[in-house]
Amino acid sequence: MYEYRIVIVDDGSIIPVNTFLVGLPVYCLRHRVNLGQGAALETGFQYAFKCGADIVVTFDGDGQHVAEDVRTIVKPLMDGEVEVVLGSRFLEDGVSEVPVVRKMVLRIGRLVNFALGGGLLSDAHNGLRAVSREALEKISITENRMAHASEILFEIKRHRLSYREVPVTVNYTDYSRQKGQSGVDGIKILFDLVLHKLFR
Amino acid sequence: MSGIQLLLLTGVAFIGLFFFTRLKKRTLDILLLALMVGCAGMFVIWPDITNKIATRLGVGRGADLVFYVSILLFWFVILKLYARIRRLEQLLTQIVREDALNKAATPVTKQEAP
Repeated sequence: MYEYRIVIVDDGSIIPVNTFLVGLPVYCLRHRVNLGQGAALETGFQYAFKCGADIVVTFDGDGQHVAEDVRTIVKPLMDGEVEVVLGSRFLEDGVSEVPVVRKMVLRIGRLVNFALGGGLLSDAHNGLRAVSREALEKISITENRMAHASEILFEIKRHRLSYREVPVTVNYTDYSRQKGQSGVDGIKILFDLVLHKLFR
Repeated sequence: MSGIQLLLLTGVAFIGLFFFTRLKKRTLDILLLALMVGCAGMFVIWPDITNKIATRLGVGRGADLVFYVSILLFWFVILKLYARIRRLEQLLTQIVREDALNKAATPVTKQEAP
């Protein structure tokens, strides 16, 4: 039996998210100004660590992930096989119907991640991850915006953490497409990554 | 003196004055400022100096040399500004995060995992 908590990080939404959470068994953290997804994840990580979490699962709020996948992604951690588990939409063909442009951006992204010193993964940027407490203690995200996904890979390498990719489903609804990354965002991420490497 | 020289000299004078009134008697800064303003003024009044330096360095015209050097300088300034922006952002993030963690709403729930 395991106890779990759902933590929501409200990254400076104009309408505070907790107005929609009344009576729900969730914990809500609110940034007073919008900082970006990377910052929101780090806030969530720090809170989870403070609460004594053994495993942390990150789950994007735009409906692209499937709750059942949490079980598969957490399993290697519970079995003590690895320290970080990363979701991938490309490991099993046909599970996720990825739009062509998105696929191309992610293909380039995984090579960029590899070139800049992360591991060579099948998926460059997947919001579904599971992190053990030991890894949580070591990993710290300083990239406030979307470059955090690559930074996590750099951190995994830097601290020599063991990791594994696990196939997960990514749903492309109209809403998640609207919220997702485009080619232009890819260039922004690249820019952030170059700055990250320059000033550190 | 041509029109452009008058224009540039007035500009240099104003910028020099602007910084001079803001500096709080730090000798090194004032010296540096005086040097820069002096150089700028000199190059505007005797443009031939830049031409001479330019031909020495293998650049055709003095104006071109000034152009190339300013591009380099601007790159440097932009990078410095980016570094500063990132530092500020980190500070802001830290403050906002602390605030979020301090105000964390805590509903008491214990549920069993599926």
